Amino acid sequence: MTRQKSNVVYIKNPKEMRVNRRLVHHPLIAMRNAVYALFFVVCISCIVDNGVAQEPDVHFIDADGKTIAEVPAQLKDETVYLSIDAVKQVFDPAMTYQYNHPRKRLTLRMKGKQLRLQMDKPTINIDPGGEIVTLSAPPVIIGQQPMVPIGFFTQLLPLFNDVEVIYNPSLRRIQMRPKGAWMPTETAGPQNWAIIIDPGHGGVDDTGCQASTGLLEKDVVLALAKQIQQLNKPREMQVYLTRQTDTKKTHFERIQVANRNQGRLFLSLHCNASFSPHEKGIKIYLNNPKGQLRFPSTIGQAPAGQRLKILAQANFLKQSRDFAADLQTELNFLTEIPVTITELPLIALSEIYMPGVVLELGYLSNAEDLEQLSNPEYITSVAQAVTRAIQRYISSANQSLLPTASEQ
Amino acid sequence: MKYNSSTGFSRLLIIWGITLLVVAISLGLTLFLIEQSKQTVIPIAPPPLPVAANPSDTPPPPQRVNLFLLDPTALTLVPVKIERRLHTESTQRLRQVIKALIQETSPNFRNPIPRGTLLNEVYIDSHQTAYLDFSRHLTDGHIGGTTAERLTVMAILKTVFDAFPNDIKQVQILIDGNEVKTLAGHLNLSQPLHFFD
Repeated sequence: MTRQKSNVVYIKNPKEMRVNRRLVHHPLIAMRNAVYALFFVVCISCIVDNGVAQEPDVHFIDADGKTIAEVPAQLKDETVYLSIDAVKQVFDPAMTYQYNHPRKRLTLRMKGKQLRLQMDKPTINIDPGGEIVTLSAPPVIIGQQPMVPIGFFTQLLPLFNDVEVIYNPSLRRIQMRPKGAWMPTETAGPQNWAIIIDPGHGGVDDTGCQASTGLLEKDVVLALAKQIQQLNKPREMQVYLTRQTDTKKTHFERIQVANRNQGRLFLSLHCNASFSPHEKGIKIYLNNPKGQLRFPSTIGQAPAGQRLKILAQANFLKQSRDFAADLQTELNFLTEIPVTITELPLIALSEIYMPGVVLELGYLSNAEDLEQLSNPEYITSVAQAVTRAIQRYISSANQSLLPTASEQ
Repeated sequence: MKYNSSTGFSRLLIIWGITLLVVAISLGLTLFLIEQSKQTVIPIAPPPLPVAANPSDTPPPPQRVNLFLLDPTALTLVPVKIERRLHTESTQRLRQVIKALIQETSPNFRNPIPRGTLLNEVYIDSHQTAYLDFSRHLTDGHIGGTTAERLTVMAILKTVFDAFPNDIKQVQILIDGNEVKTLAGHLNLSQPLHFFD
């Protein structure tokens, strides 16, 4: 019930009060909504320009993980595009290009070749030779600038030079490295290199860490170990696994696989766990009983057999550090948080008479790491990175075996 | 029959009189029995006279002890001060400190020792090596991972070395009286460990 006396409104019914309040503030609400709408339109127009959105820079890095250039990127139709100047910046400083606006044709001249690109068409003609390459996405014009898709770098550049190009879409990183730079040399053939991959834990009793989703450490590391073995088959490198199935293996049984096959490199795979749900990232551990946590100096008084077990890794510590550094370089390409190396007395590497490293792939206690470790594509990319690290290590180890000029 | 008021009153008096008599007899009998029972009980030997206190038995004053627990981020071990009346003898004191560590549940700090872990025994040998024998909860209840395992071991070592800077040089962790190779499959605990900061 409402009654009105001059300018005063008397409201008795609360329902009426709500109605009347709306009526009273109607112009203000309309104005507020208009401001919101304007803000929304401005935001959208800032972000999107004909379906194009500003993306984080793409980082070009060299074989050692050093940044060569950071190039602004644009996203269109779920494809990352880079300016044509990026080619000049990272690949050929002498490159020139010409863009014909009416015909929408882009002509590039680099490394003694001419490339003809047509906007909105994925094919590229390369002269001399008449070779035609089809990209996964066509070049486009964004903001009056000709832009090429990321595939231009990953597909085309390896054809021009002996380079391998690897792209990490999640971190927007492109690594350019000399092709086959780390293939084992003839000095010690690849068949001489026995690599031991040790998937940690296994069996019903020893599952390792368990994620909130039920994902088990023993399963993640076994999947990775098998992929590493598969990737190295064409390379004729001998890769042995300490377990092929979900079975429990004692430390002694694992050592036997390594020593019986005369392994020259031992890689133990694990997943990490932390008391903090925020801790994440890949970590590498080396066996050093004289690190931050250390065995006492009186170890020299222990029986000889025991001393040998404890100090087995001491002779290989330098090579283990070299391999850890190679792993670190390769794995840094995959992760935002730099990979760290820590030296501790480790049981997984005790009594191993070869260079050895423990690789903790990520934290099952962290949601982001868990998501990655649950993704088979990520596991494949880790397997590829580990394979590259092994190649890099073998290559440098073989180089050190080559006779020097004075020896010849 | 005509109701006689004086007869009714006298009846009431008689009833009350009998009731009081019964109560008085019962009370007397009860008091008598109590008195009798007191006399039949074998007298208890009087409590021994207080002996002059031995100076070594006087409770020591409370001392501050640092227990190393995880800070609110659960990434770093930090000292958390507590006060305890600690025994003067090293082994007894070590037992008190380790029990305090495994039982500590300070708000805002997380204990890296798995809940339910018990300390079975402690021993300090002539080489200043402390042997700490824990129950199986320490391994079975652990979350695993090199990082978490390292923090658990470091919490024990840091607490011991902080409380016994001169008496203990290294620590060996035992489980149910046996040497163990590891807690969660990563760190090598087959030997006594010391900590280099």
